[in-house]
Amino acid sequence: MTTAGPSPDRPATGAGRAAPPRPTAAAWARENLFNNRHNSVLTVLLGAGLVVLVIYGARFLFVTGQWEPVRTNLTLLMMGTFPREEQWRIVVQVYLLCASVGLLWGGLTASSRDRARDAGVPFSRARLRDGVRRWWPVFVLLAVLLGMTRTWLPLAFVASALALGVAARRVMEALPEAGRRAAWFGAGVCALAGWQVLSGTGGIAWWWGSALVAAAVVRLTRNVRTDARWQPLARLTLVAGAVAVVWAVYAQLDFGGVGWDDWSGFQLNLVAAAASIVLAFPVGLLAAVGRRSQLPAVRWLSVGYIEVIRGVPLITLLFMGDLFLGFFLPTEDPLSKVTRAIAVMTLFTGAYLAEIVRGGLQAVPRGQVEAAQAIGLSAPRVLSLIVLPQALRAVIPALVGQFINLFKDSTLLSIIALTEILRIRESIHGQREFLIVGIAETLVFVAFAFWALAFTMSRESQRLERRLGVGER
Amino acid sequence: MAGVCLAGWWLYGNLVDNLTRTRIPTDFNFLTQPTGFAIPENFGFDPDLPIWRMVLIGVQNTFLAGLVGVLLASIVGLVVGIARLSSNWLVAKLAQVFVEGFRNTPPLVVIVFFSFAVFSFGPLPVFPEALDLKLPGSDSNWLVLSKSRIGIPSLSAERHEGLFWLLVVCGVVAAAGVWVWRSRRHVRTGEPHHRVLWSLGLLVVVALVAFVALGGPYDWSWPARSENGRRLISGFGTSAAYLSLTLALALYTASHIAEVVRASILAVPKGQSEAAGALALSPFQRYRHVILPQGLRIAVPPTINQYLNLVKNTSLGTVVGYADVTNLTRTSIGNANPAPQSIAVLMGVYLVFSLVISLLLNIYNRTVQLQER
Repeated sequence: MTTAGPSPDRPATGAGRAAPPRPTAAAWARENLFNNRHNSVLTVLLGAGLVVLVIYGARFLFVTGQWEPVRTNLTLLMMGTFPREEQWRIVVQVYLLCASVGLLWGGLTASSRDRARDAGVPFSRARLRDGVRRWWPVFVLLAVLLGMTRTWLPLAFVASALALGVAARRVMEALPEAGRRAAWFGAGVCALAGWQVLSGTGGIAWWWGSALVAAAVVRLTRNVRTDARWQPLARLTLVAGAVAVVWAVYAQLDFGGVGWDDWSGFQLNLVAAAASIVLAFPVGLLAAVGRRSQLPAVRWLSVGYIEVIRGVPLITLLFMGDLFLGFFLPTEDPLSKVTRAIAVMTLFTGAYLAEIVRGGLQAVPRGQVEAAQAIGLSAPRVLSLIVLPQALRAVIPALVGQFINLFKDSTLLSIIALTEILRIRESIHGQREFLIVGIAETLVFVAFAFWALAFTMSRESQRLERRLGVGER
Repeated sequence: MAGVCLAGWWLYGNLVDNLTRTRIPTDFNFLTQPTGFAIPENFGFDPDLPIWRMVLIGVQNTFLAGLVGVLLASIVGLVVGIARLSSNWLVAKLAQVFVEGFRNTPPLVVIVFFSFAVFSFGPLPVFPEALDLKLPGSDSNWLVLSKSRIGIPSLSAERHEGLFWLLVVCGVVAAAGVWVWRSRRHVRTGEPHHRVLWSLGLLVVVALVAFVALGGPYDWSWPARSENGRRLISGFGTSAAYLSLTLALALYTASHIAEVVRASILAVPKGQSEAAGALALSPFQRYRHVILPQGLRIAVPPTINQYLNLVKNTSLGTVVGYADVTNLTRTSIGNANPAPQSIAVLMGVYLVFSLVISLLLNIYNRTVQLQER
């Protein structure tokens, strides 16, 4: 009866398992709430406290809370000073992203369905109900946002975007094997096109486009037979040429668009976190591999970078970026404030990613490397074909965890006066009608926006961890 | 390697060039210049003192926030971590809500919430501009709230306090002796030792007798505000900034520590708990003597990480105006002191903090880990 250690969050009944008979409410309460004297006292005391807290909280949420500052400034909180006449860019981007995510999701479902069919295992599609149960904080956040706007246009927008995503998923699932491969590519194009529409010529799509073209050239030239000695050089020239063409074409075009310097609000939080983790990945990979290098100089450099960055708070680095990062460059401060902040966050995340990747590298058995060397693979090939694929698979949940941390840390941008959501919340209380109105309410709103996303991501990453079987060797 | 050296040299050269161009000094002489501003957290600090003294004050404040935060976070984290595994559904669920709630909210938002919504405005106990809560039937306050400062009663030494502490130390020695005596007797005769009761009782009796015999070496110092109302002249005063910083960080870190504790307890084989149950140990004894000592071993390394994070996070006190080392450095940079050198000093301070903490805790870790042959 009193054994400590039943896991409280074990699902009650699995889908395929035989469900045990459901206990009556009284039996359940006796078992879980009043099973001995201590627990009965605890239950009564905590229950009373909980009732008071719930009543107080509900009164705050629905009766006494002054949500007017949040409601009036909802757009400001979400996208800050983003030019209002360019808002359509965000709308188009969201549609394209939804389509892309829908295609990806459908593709994943379809391929696992096919694998199940090949293995002769029954396959059950994830149901909508499960999706809602797993993603409820996000849906609550959406409902809060839509409920506050009190107009039909955002509702229609969100509903149509979700519908588009679901439709894309259905299409992808229905496609035959060959068509699906093209659709995978379509998902990537949709995502990139979204960024292109949003940032236009002023933005990061240059880099994405170049990377895409470079990857395509590498892929296309893989099977071309030339004189072996010149092949790498020739390919490099081709890649450089293609990238140069892309840049030249870009320089001639003008799509307008809004680069990340003009983004603010919650959008900036998301973009800063996402951009930093993507950009930090190569840095972290390099530092992790460098830490295991045979050359002492490279090893010590990597160790120094990782340990120094991990030993200091992010704020000190942000101050550095804000105050004198530009001084390290020969020109007179060519970088914008947002760029410097993202550069610093990249530097910061790189050190943490290096440690995560190192953990993954250590999890790859030595025999793998030795076997690869035995069949005569060169050191870069051993790394890129044998070690990294296995190492990176093991660290996906940790990567998600790092992204969540970075997302939460993006609030620190407010300290160097970037207008992310916390800073905008502060500025709301500079408006005359909201000087001391709803100070707790705006904070609760901001906290909830972060919580909903971070909580969902962390739960999904735990789920992923279980499915990948990390740590169960 | 040469390339890296060249790149480093290039960056450094650019930095020096740019600093010279903008007429910012490139040496560390600014550390001996006068600070030039007062620190609200530390009234004794004279603005004429050099900047390196200011850095030391900042380090002291960071240390205070970190130490109290670590202690609070450990206690709350341990309790919540154990509560998450309670057989009581309500307790386990509440603990889970606490953990998931604080773990997924940015600590900065929590700090700002405490500072602005709990201690200043907001729906929670509203603190007006100034508030004195008097003891019933007397003129003394037991709580003083003035703008951003909070005063509670403290003890002030009146007479013979040195002698009093000497007697208390004697009491501690005697209590230790009693502890050993009870333990030995327990081993010899098998009768219950009750050594906590015996030694603590002896200590309390000694202290009480000494206190009365010396005619009350300590007296309450009730908090009261000064003439201009800005500072406290008696009692123990602390600032709302300090309280919000430590409380928020303690709760945030506690949610992480609770997860560590839970995972460590779950990692102790179930047979240990069952075997302890078979020996008729009470649930408390089971935790105290069987599960926790084994779980602790697993929990130490990740907990060290959490402590380090907490100490680094004290730099967030900048936002609510707590005079930690980051905030002071920032103000000093605002007073036209060179930024690169100031930030370098600041990073050095945090690196020393990290090194010292991980060194101390790694030594501790070595003592609790299993000695393998």
